[in-house]
Amino acid sequence: MKKGLIVTVILIWLAFVLPAPTVCSANKAAGADTDEKLLGDESDGSRAVPIHLIPMYPENEDGEKGFKIAGDDEILLPFSIRWTCEACHSYATISNGWHFNAVDSNVAPGRPGQPWILVDASTGTQIPLSYRPWPQTFKPEQVGLTPRQFTKLFGRHTPGGGAGELESQDPDEFMREFISGKLEINCLACHNAAPEQNQTEYAIQIARENFRWAAAASCEFASASGSAIDMPDTYDPFMPMPLDDPKKVPPGVSYREDAFDKDNWVFFDITRKVANERCYFCHSNLDVGSNSPERWAVDEDVHLTAGLRCVDCHRNDINHNITRGYEGEEFISANLLAATSSCEGCHTTGRLGAPLLKHAHAGIPPVHFDKLSCTACHSGRWPGEKTILTKTSRAHSLGIAGINKSPEALPHILYPVFAKQSNGKITPYKMFWPAFWGTVKEGKVTPINLEVVKKTIGKILTKEKLPRTGDWRILTAEHIIEGLNSLQKKIEGKAVYISAGKLYKIDNAGKLIAAEHDAAKPYLWPIAHDVRPAAQSLGIRECEDCHSTDAPFFFGAVAVDSPIAAERDLSYEMTEFQNIDSFYTWAFAFSFVFRPWLKVIALGCCGIIGGVILLYALRALACIVKVLAGKS
Amino acid sequence: MFRTISIIAFLATFLGIGLCCLAFPCCKECRWAPLAILRRAIRIFTMLFLEQKLSPVGALRKLVYLLALLCFLVLAITSFYPVLVLKEPIHGYWLMLHATFAPVFAICLAGLAVMWAGNCCFNKSDWPWLTHILERLTPTKRVGEEPSNERLGLGQKITFWLIVVPALPLILSIILSMFDFFGTYWQELLLDIHRYTALVFAIAVILHTYLMIRAKMRE
Repeated sequence: MKKGLIVTVILIWLAFVLPAPTVCSANKAAGADTDEKLLGDESDGSRAVPIHLIPMYPENEDGEKGFKIAGDDEILLPFSIRWTCEACHSYATISNGWHFNAVDSNVAPGRPGQPWILVDASTGTQIPLSYRPWPQTFKPEQVGLTPRQFTKLFGRHTPGGGAGELESQDPDEFMREFISGKLEINCLACHNAAPEQNQTEYAIQIARENFRWAAAASCEFASASGSAIDMPDTYDPFMPMPLDDPKKVPPGVSYREDAFDKDNWVFFDITRKVANERCYFCHSNLDVGSNSPERWAVDEDVHLTAGLRCVDCHRNDINHNITRGYEGEEFISANLLAATSSCEGCHTTGRLGAPLLKHAHAGIPPVHFDKLSCTACHSGRWPGEKTILTKTSRAHSLGIAGINKSPEALPHILYPVFAKQSNGKITPYKMFWPAFWGTVKEGKVTPINLEVVKKTIGKILTKEKLPRTGDWRILTAEHIIEGLNSLQKKIEGKAVYISAGKLYKIDNAGKLIAAEHDAAKPYLWPIAHDVRPAAQSLGIRECEDCHSTDAPFFFGAVAVDSPIAAERDLSYEMTEFQNIDSFYTWAFAFSFVFRPWLKVIALGCCGIIGGVILLYALRALACIVKVLAGKS
Repeated sequence: MFRTISIIAFLATFLGIGLCCLAFPCCKECRWAPLAILRRAIRIFTMLFLEQKLSPVGALRKLVYLLALLCFLVLAITSFYPVLVLKEPIHGYWLMLHATFAPVFAICLAGLAVMWAGNCCFNKSDWPWLTHILERLTPTKRVGEEPSNERLGLGQKITFWLIVVPALPLILSIILSMFDFFGTYWQELLLDIHRYTALVFAIAVILHTYLMIRAKMRE
């Protein structure tokens, strides 16, 4: 009986255990397939730049790899980055990189960053959008934007991929997607060392819905013409037929004659060490307003001035999981350099010749490093009495020809705001006040589709002047009441308007009331650049840089921005964003008036105590000397 | 680490004082009846008063001592309470109180050092065993016993110097950190010096106060 039981147990155990190696082997084999590295995925160790003299391939009508492009092809197609580069580089691996993976819900969002800002001055709208689940942002689909529409709006300042490659779920867009193609990852946006790489042209092609042509049009040996947006739904870009309307030009590409060699191979001037100017196209900032210096008068980040490049710190391997460089990134990032690519990473190890922290910060009590991020003292603009407006490439389309250069152009981004971040440290932020027409359901506010808002609110505000500066159209309480009443008829839930940190709604008596709501809170994202040199950091002059009763760091005014005229003069004190007691901060700062006295008194007391100790120590010594001399 | 060391050190100190009270009671017939304890507490409380027989200098000395004691209490609570009980570094209003009372305490300490050092000088009567050893080791001429007019015991003298000597690094460590002389590494070192000397200092003050009370009770 016992033996039988033992045998049964062993058999059951074997039944479970024996197949295990087989499964493991299968997994291993599958893993080997997916992990197979292509020629360019792994370095052979040479630091020389590989010469990219390669054949170009287009995407065919089935979305697959087409035939090699030759200069004398009858129908010239734009080269596909995917099919051209994938011969040597794993496109799928690269597409998981930080610049392309926003649409992947499995990717950890990390520290909140700058969102895309959907702006419409005519309806008083600026909404933070992101495919990443950052708090307070909305998904593009929540405001009625399909991935394709999102790409058309914001693809200008992306290196392609992400939303640009998502399959459209909207039947109306199927044919348009066939005509325009997808916005593939544009490796050239960063890695093209040729000075002719033209991202403005890239942006123009995206605006024309020439997604398939955008990468080729931006490079130095090709140019694009025509516009996919003008093409009828029946247009076939792979078999183009003459159009009925001669004014409409179909999208097309032409290559420079000398671009092809005898084998129809083309030289791509590719670099691993991406130039700063490539990063700057999407990551530039401009402070605006009367006290803001012009671009030429502003110093660059001290690291760049010292000779570093952006990519010296923001590095990645083939998976393009680039380091963002913030404190704590190593806990969510698989990038091996994440831990050593933050400020602390270099300045505690001396990487790249960074001055070591332990020799710096003379006179700064260590408690500052627990309460402040490095950037609080070293980054961005020296704080003034009030926040100023600033522009960014992605929010204001900087770098693209024909943009509105007016300082008042929306969105209104305020800066610097010193606020507490999730790790409890105060850090400098940029921020803006969301403004949008929305609906409340179960206490949750979501924006109403902008097209619906435009149609409804547009009618109400036709008499109001829309400033040519790109500033807000002024709204009054009457406008909001009328707008909310009109919108209420078209939506489910309660219509509300969000602005200036408040939620506006109409009460049962028909009056407009304002209330606080989480959805109305400003959206903030931390900044890291430009880093000022140590000699220009906060606290370098004296403690009173921050610890005085009127120091902007604590008591600066954070402006309130709103299309509502009555709200525009409001401001908040910086301490409100730091979750600290304003009176305590003031009292603590006031105590610094007495600090010189404290030093004098304490040193005087030390002198007296030291004198007494010395006196009696000498007396004791005299006594010992006498005893040892046998005198007493 | 500092928290653990501090807790152990304070527990050991209070345990030692407790054992000392039990093993060597200050009065011959120590009673533990509530009334007797209350009486002793009142007696200790009356020690805070200025005696009529005190000279003006003596009164000043006592006043300075009492003020120093008050400051010590505030400083000890504002520094050790957040660290030992709240498990957080001193900050906020604790820090402001600490920094407000610190200079007053420094002045009192300087005053006490000047006024008490003479009385806390060691003499032969404090350690006869040492005199005995020295007489054997060296051809010391015996000049006769010095008349001792001291009221302070050896323990009080030792604890006095244990207060005065650490006071110097205690004050200097925090004041020097306010000047632009030392970088982060030295700042952290200075802070550690301040913490640990404060611990030694606090224990010395507790022992000194205990011995003082004990001596007064015996009187």
